[in-house]
Amino acid sequence: MLEIKNLHARVGDKEILKGLNLTIQTGEVHAIMGPNGCGKSTLASVIAGHPAYTVTEGEILFKGQNLLKMKPDERANSGVFLAFQYPVELPGVGMAQFLKAALNAKRKFLGQQPMDAVQFMKYMNLRAKALDITSEMLKRSVNVGFSGGEKKRLETFQMAMLEPDFCVLDEMDSGLDVDALKLVGKAVSVMREVHRSFMIITHHDDLLQYVQPDRVSVMREGRVLITGSAELVKEIEAKGYDKF
Amino acid sequence: MTNFNPFLIAEKLNTDVKNPNSESWVFEVQKDGFLCADFLQTDASLDVLVVLNGENAKCHINCAYLVNKNNKININIKVLHKVKNTLSKQQIKGLITDSGYVNFIGTIEIPEYAQKCNGLQNHRGILLSPKATVSATPQLEIWADDVQCAHGSAVGPLDQNQLFYLLARGLPEQEAKRLLLRSFLGDLMPKDFDELISNWMDKNV
Ligand SMILES: Nc1ncnc2c1ncn2[C@@H]1O[C@H](COP(=O)(O)OP(=O)(O)OP(=O)(O)O)[C@@H](O)[C@H]1O
Ligand SMILES: [Mg+2]
Repeated sequence: MLEIKNLHARVGDKEILKGLNLTIQTGEVHAIMGPNGCGKSTLASVIAGHPAYTVTEGEILFKGQNLLKMKPDERANSGVFLAFQYPVELPGVGMAQFLKAALNAKRKFLGQQPMDAVQFMKYMNLRAKALDITSEMLKRSVNVGFSGGEKKRLETFQMAMLEPDFCVLDEMDSGLDVDALKLVGKAVSVMREVHRSFMIITHHDDLLQYVQPDRVSVMREGRVLITGSAELVKEIEAKGYDKF
Repeated sequence: MTNFNPFLIAEKLNTDVKNPNSESWVFEVQKDGFLCADFLQTDASLDVLVVLNGENAKCHINCAYLVNKNNKININIKVLHKVKNTLSKQQIKGLITDSGYVNFIGTIEIPEYAQKCNGLQNHRGILLSPKATVSATPQLEIWADDVQCAHGSAVGPLDQNQLFYLLARGLPEQEAKRLLLRSFLGDLMPKDFDELISNWMDKNV
């Protein structure tokens, strides 16, 4: 699904990713752990194509294609989804309107007919229910005035709506109460399928208790130091990052 | 097709209107009167003076500007709170592209005898090209002490993180920009101006 080779990326003059290698197979759930500031969110942003980050070396292959050559919207419509650590607020842009535009942009990209309003509402309400998203929340502006946990739930909901092939969840589990964690964990488990991969960036095993990772990578100072099995999570929980 | 620089007096009560020339408006709102006026400026300057002339007079002035090419326009909006207990609200928002230039001067004047007035002014401009310019001068001439006044002005490019959020959800850049700009203008302008705004967006964003 995703193959990253010797990735170097910077913001301004500051190099943040310093030769990162990572492979995520199709169908794999891959957890990324690492101390604050090691470049996890930067990696997620580079994958999604944020213009603030410049790639100076290396490559990313997504389903065999050169991801770095694609514009952010092309990446999204080809199946990349990033659930943001800090989702931005879009005052005046209603969630339903926004999601309809996003869904139909993807359908257009794939050469499919747009969904009409009735089809869309049915499709949306079904997925909203599973994540306890009320119609009141869907009528409000995207992320405006929502609590941290609600924003995370809404990111998960967007993921469920867009049915991407490759989902990057950046600290989805931070700031969630136990019930919300359960909902999000369930939503991710339901979406876990042979054709879909997940990259779960996290500091804890909270979400991983609901979604057993196939593999775990530990990042430090802009690189992946070690990749192993789910056992690694327990080791990190017990001993911290110093031993890596 | 609507007029190129349309205006609309949405509500008017106890208000005298003068229109000395095509670009100038003088409104005198008398006791208990109310005025709500909407202006959309694309290629012409605007000069508005509102005099709140009697107690409990209120006004809302909404102005949007959409400026492209080499167009240079002045927008002057002044509210004079001539008596106590009057209320004004000015909301100005605009989009500038190409080498467009907007010189905005917004004034709230409250003489010292006009206590208990409430004056609001808010201006925001979005620059859509590197050569687009807005000069904004809020002028507050508040001499009375028991009044409530607030003003704000912000000019800058479209927020890159907001834009990226939409791109990352698959919206093509042009569609994403139009969506953000439409919501930026929000419901500042009446429905009657929608067609003109959409046409402008289709050509300039
Ligand atoms: N846009 C930016 N401008 C300046 N510095 C940045 C920017 N983005 C990231 N950095 C810096 O790059 C480093 C890595 O940041 P990043 O957000 O990727 O870390 P992280 O691993 O996600 O940390 P956390 O666990 O706290 O979320 C930090 O030192 C950060 O300050
Ligand atoms: Mg982070």
